[in-house]
Amino acid sequence: MSSRLDPLVLLPLILGIVTLIIYQFAPFVIQPDLGATSIPTLTETRSNNEFGVTTNGLILIRIAAGAIILLGLWTLTNNQLSRAAAALTALAGILVLEYFVVFWRDYAQEGATYLSSMGFGFWTLLGLGILMLLQAAIPRPAVAREFQLRSLAANQESAILLALVVLIVTIGIASPRFLATRNILDILQGNAYIAVAAIGMAMVIITGNIDISVGSLIGLLAVISGRLVVAGAPIWLAWLTPLLIGALVGLFIALIVTYLRVPSIVVTLGMFSILKGALILWTNGQRVTGMPEGFYLAQMKPFGIPMSILFMLVLTLLAALWMRYSGAGRSLYAVGGNAEAARLSGLSATRVVIMAFVLNGVFAGIASVLYATQLQIIQATPPPALELFIIMAAVVGGVSILGGKGTVIGAMLAAILLNMIRSGMIFIDFNVFYLQAITGLLILLTVLIDLIRRRRQMV
Amino acid sequence: MLTILRFAVLSIFLTLGFSLAQGWDGGDDLPTNPLACGEGGGGDVAMMDYNGGQAAGEMSMMGEAITIIDVPKLVGIGYFAATTLGQQQAAEELGNVTVTTDAPTEANIDDQIAVIENYIASGDINGILFAANDPVAISPVLRSALEQGIHVVGYDANSEPDAREWFVNQAEFNGIAKSMIDSLAAEKGEDASFGIVTSTFTTPNQARWIAEMQAYQEACYPDMAWLETLEAQEDAVLSFNQANTLINKYGEDLDGILGMTSVATPSSADAVTQAGLCGEVAVVGLATPNAMKPYVNDGCVESVVLWNPVDLGYAAVHVMRAIVDGELSPGDTSVMAGRLGELQVVNGSEILLGAPFVFNADNINDFDF
Amino acid sequence: MADAAQTSKPTWVQRLRGILFSQEGILLLILLGVIIVLAQQNPNFWTVRNLLNQGRLMSEVGLVALPMTFIIITAGIDLSVGSILGLSAIVLGVLWKGAGLPLELAIFLALIIGSLAGLMNGLFIVKLDVPPLIMTLATLALYRGLAQGISQARSVTGYPEWFFIFGQGRILGLPTQLWLFIIFTILSIIILRRTTLGRSLYAIGNNPVGARFSGLPVGRNLLIIYTYAGFMSALAGVVFVSRVTTTRSDMGAGLELDVIAAVVLGGTSIFGGKGTVIGTVIGLVLIQLLKNGLALSGVTSDATIIVIGVVLILAILVNNFIQLKRTS
Repeated sequence: MSSRLDPLVLLPLILGIVTLIIYQFAPFVIQPDLGATSIPTLTETRSNNEFGVTTNGLILIRIAAGAIILLGLWTLTNNQLSRAAAALTALAGILVLEYFVVFWRDYAQEGATYLSSMGFGFWTLLGLGILMLLQAAIPRPAVAREFQLRSLAANQESAILLALVVLIVTIGIASPRFLATRNILDILQGNAYIAVAAIGMAMVIITGNIDISVGSLIGLLAVISGRLVVAGAPIWLAWLTPLLIGALVGLFIALIVTYLRVPSIVVTLGMFSILKGALILWTNGQRVTGMPEGFYLAQMKPFGIPMSILFMLVLTLLAALWMRYSGAGRSLYAVGGNAEAARLSGLSATRVVIMAFVLNGVFAGIASVLYATQLQIIQATPPPALELFIIMAAVVGGVSILGGKGTVIGAMLAAILLNMIRSGMIFIDFNVFYLQAITGLLILLTVLIDLIRRRRQMV
Repeated sequence: MLTILRFAVLSIFLTLGFSLAQGWDGGDDLPTNPLACGEGGGGDVAMMDYNGGQAAGEMSMMGEAITIIDVPKLVGIGYFAATTLGQQQAAEELGNVTVTTDAPTEANIDDQIAVIENYIASGDINGILFAANDPVAISPVLRSALEQGIHVVGYDANSEPDAREWFVNQAEFNGIAKSMIDSLAAEKGEDASFGIVTSTFTTPNQARWIAEMQAYQEACYPDMAWLETLEAQEDAVLSFNQANTLINKYGEDLDGILGMTSVATPSSADAVTQAGLCGEVAVVGLATPNAMKPYVNDGCVESVVLWNPVDLGYAAVHVMRAIVDGELSPGDTSVMAGRLGELQVVNGSEILLGAPFVFNADNINDFDF
Repeated sequence: MADAAQTSKPTWVQRLRGILFSQEGILLLILLGVIIVLAQQNPNFWTVRNLLNQGRLMSEVGLVALPMTFIIITAGIDLSVGSILGLSAIVLGVLWKGAGLPLELAIFLALIIGSLAGLMNGLFIVKLDVPPLIMTLATLALYRGLAQGISQARSVTGYPEWFFIFGQGRILGLPTQLWLFIIFTILSIIILRRTTLGRSLYAIGNNPVGARFSGLPVGRNLLIIYTYAGFMSALAGVVFVSRVTTTRSDMGAGLELDVIAAVVLGGTSIFGGKGTVIGTVIGLVLIQLLKNGLALSGVTSDATIIVIGVVLILAILVNNFIQLKRTS
């Protein structure tokens, strides 16, 4: 790491911090009857207007600024990421500028004397957005073993991020209500439990196995959690028990796969039926209601952020770091990529596979708690095809079924993408019957991109 | 190779693009028959000729103990647990009836047919009660049951008329439609804009209700605006997400959400509650009372439309018993059904349970199903 | 199978033992055991009527299980068969009712579309090296979505009487679809045992690289079997529509799991290189009779699927154990 701090490295961080400050405090609009209003105040004073954008606080700007601050901080310790940070800042710039497109249409429609009533905050933010976009063009000095800009396109995570931004921009301009804070948060939150379950599934798939019973497991664990708390157990017990039972079920499956040598697809196919039948037999159709107030974990909003989103982000980050930087985590990739070589280098494939399935069970447990606490009732039947969604999230996220490749960040982004497509299709009145077809095409697209990437690498 | 790919992808997009223009409202294409507007307006029930099928063979089981199998759409949901409860109550009352409920674990037609086939083959049953996943698909196997002398009575979801002897109808489709729209109008005024959340788009009953709702609304509340219909399978969290998307898309323009199933309605109510829009967005729907108690007691939902599924199951068993005992024959205009009293025959071979029941804060805590 | 060092012909005792303790033999014994137990539970179980009926009901899964055996032998998999069934059914309905084509033509075109769908699976898997699990996962969603989109959630009913012979009719006492199943079973056995295509499947499953280097037309053969899977799914779709007299976009959902269960139960290894059509048929019959017998004994659906799940795992375990014993 060079001792002299290159100012270019600091640029994303600076841009992010300044954006947040401007957003929070600077006067955005000067309205005759209200005086100067900053964006947060704008939110409170105007109720749901025509486009609903300025009412709700422009959350994407906050998310974008936050993301580049984080990456900027990370770049300080690891200047291999300098170019990646630059690219991300450009994407953030696109999001900021998009709001201005929508905002301009909104304000012009209302006949406001547009330019003259804009305050300092408006112009600065606009300038910041353009700056974010332009700084990506500044050539950065090459660093050894750098995270190449090209390699940004070389992994699935960035492809999905790009797809997310493209979707947000296109749907947002076509139907600006899509960008409202509530909607963006709903999109992030809606599939959060699927993203959490996809973390575990990614681990299993990376070791070269699969688990098609996880949907029934989540349904079962959710009911267990609900019934426990209704029967009077302390809330924390109701939250933790699904994790324990999930781990046990994962252990059970793993033992059959490793010691009894039954292929994971067969074992989990059998478990899928067993768990589903057990759930229905046990509940007999009775839903669980009447849970106490404190139980609704997923509905809590620490710091104003829905709990599900926090879980999703934190767990994904922790898992990603663990899988990349810890020996145990990397052993998952080793076993999946080449079991024989792993064995020869001293890894016990058995132990690694067991660990993967147990973790999968734990994450399924966490997902089930999020699922159970989202609504005031818990269904007695598992959501249909849930396991397929989870597997699709992992696969679209770049986790390779051949084992050995992919990260959980990709899986999380893919889960968000799937929900964004669902919501987006409704906003632009796309024929809703084709949602499944789009999902299928998405997987195909993932596959094609992966193929092109592989071909390029061989050349 | 890539050319083949491009061709394939292109053709897929062409098909997709083709249907971009079409909108879906959730209703089916069958003719509708809206009731009269305003208070009362319970329809004149049409007097038709009997159009049901008949079980082969003689009436040999009069007064004797019979075994009935009940095959609802699926097991594992509260609604059919309630119908089963009613059936068991009737069986206990009558004393000479044994009813067992068995159905597939998912609402698909093939599994339901297989279940019925198995019971016919077992030779042990004298009667079949059913709630069909698909009216046409279930009819062949029901007809074969009739041919073998097994009595067939439907409830909740009909088959083709000649495939069963009688059908216990919980409420007329247009009656339910009227209750739903009237409740919405009462809560939000006659110019409300509403969205519909249903569970699957291939379920015949819901499509009928939606079609009737639209016909009634156009006739009686022309200022109301239907915004959109969304579906969400049997997945509570997905229904929640869909309802949220509805709220986000239409913002202030959305005055009400109509939920069509016991999964869609509570999830929509939860979406409205968590968005803090109770009172601003009305939620009216079909659902079992237990599912809706939290929301009705909170004041977020004012009316839940349903009938009493316990009574529905109860009536079905009584009707079966009446057929076997010779007390109900083609051409009759009413039948006695235990504690429910006399039930009317409508539409030739349907037995009407009664008018839809509206649950609200005053009475919802009296029920437990 | 026989000891390589043995110079004399295996005696009939040894041959009998070989058959008995083969995968299929064990399975047959399990099947016999299950039949005996179930027949005692309910007198109506072991009757011609019931068995013929079960034959009718299992034919759709059976038709698809035949090509699935081929595919799994090559260490591949096809999760999209259920969606192809649904898509073919919808195409049949839409072409007949919507486009007004004569029903025969619509059936023919539906079969073609199903085969094309299978072909597309094969093309991606062979030419683009996409893992079969991923490709067929994608087409599972894609084809189902197309079915839903094309049908716009409308059912198609009102088919003419003669059409119902496929699903509800009888020829010489046996249900029509059972005849279809028997014919295709025999065909599949012949293909697997007697043709180079069939025999190459084992080689592909055991060692795909080696197979390619020894000059086998691996790509062409894989294309053929995936297309075969598509065709059979479409055929099963036609039979299904004929049986239930209606067309819905959710037909065939979950079929792939039933088919895979039957194939795997029948001794075909998921890892490829091993398996027979006979085994699949036995596995299919076992599952069907188990479901039927349990239902006749009064076991409800939710408990039945638990039993099926347990049986699946146990049968594989037993098989693994016995094969281990034999090779040691």
